[in-house]
Amino acid sequence: MQRRKFLSFTLGAVALAVVPASVRAENFRVTKPTVWTAHTVDDAIVAMFGSSETIKDGVKVKTQDVASNGGAIPIEFSTKIPAKTVALFQDANPEAAVCAYSVGKNDITDYSVKIKMAKSGTVTVVVEGLDGKLYSGSKSLEVALGGCEG
Amino acid sequence: MKVKAKLKNGVISVKAMAKHEMSTYNQAEKKTGNRENANFITHITATLKSSGETVLDMSTSQFLSKNPIFKFKFKGAEKGDVVLMNWIDRKGGTGKGKGKIKGK
Repeated sequence: MQRRKFLSFTLGAVALAVVPASVRAENFRVTKPTVWTAHTVDDAIVAMFGSSETIKDGVKVKTQDVASNGGAIPIEFSTKIPAKTVALFQDANPEAAVCAYSVGKNDITDYSVKIKMAKSGTVTVVVEGLDGKLYSGSKSLEVALGGCEG
Repeated sequence: MKVKAKLKNGVISVKAMAKHEMSTYNQAEKKTGNRENANFITHITATLKSSGETVLDMSTSQFLSKNPIFKFKFKGAEKGDVVLMNWIDRKGGTGKGKGKIKGK
C-alpha cells in the first residue's frame, strides 16, 4: 500500500508540474485587471507594460481611413519584431484596452480583429519584444456612425 | 464558433468567428439599467489537437465587435491537424469550435 501511495503521489505531482509548462496561456484579465478599466491609452499601456515610453517603429497598423460602421471596424496589425506580448488600444471608447495577445513561439504576429469605436479616434498597437523593449504603431481613423452608443 | 484554417507555404492562417452579443457596460446600462449586465468574451484560446500546443491566446474587452471575427497566423502544424478554439465570457459562459487545417 505504501508503495502504491507513493507512486500515485509522484505521478500526480509530475502531471501537475507538466501541465503549466505546456499551457503557457496568460489571461491578462486575471493577471492585469487594471488594464481593462484604464480610461486613457497611456494609463492602459502603463498598466499593461509598466511604462508608456515606446519606440514608434516596427509595428504596422492597417485600417480604413473612414469607417462607415463603428460597430465593426476591421483592424489589421503585424510586426516582424520577435514579440512576447501584443496589445491593441483605442481612445474613442470609455475604456482604452481592446485586446491583448500572449505570443507563443510558433505564432506569427500578424493579426486582424473587428472592433467597436464610439467615435473617431486613434488605434494604437503596442508590442513588447523579447528584448524587453516596447514598440508601437498607431493609426487615426474617422468613424461616421458610432458603434458603442455612447 | 466557426473556425477556418488554411495551410500555405508552412503558415497556417485561421479565420474565426464567435457568436456573441459583446455588450458593453454602456449598452447594458441603456438596455437594462444596470451596467453589471454587460457581457462580453474575455478570453479566447486556440490549441492544436495533435500536440496540445497553444497557438492563440487572446484576452479581450467589450470593444470587439458583436459576433467578432478575427484572424491569426502560426506555423509548425501539418495539414489535417485540427485547431481547437475556446472562449469564455464575463458571466462564465463558454463556447468552442474547431477547424481542420486544409491546404495543398
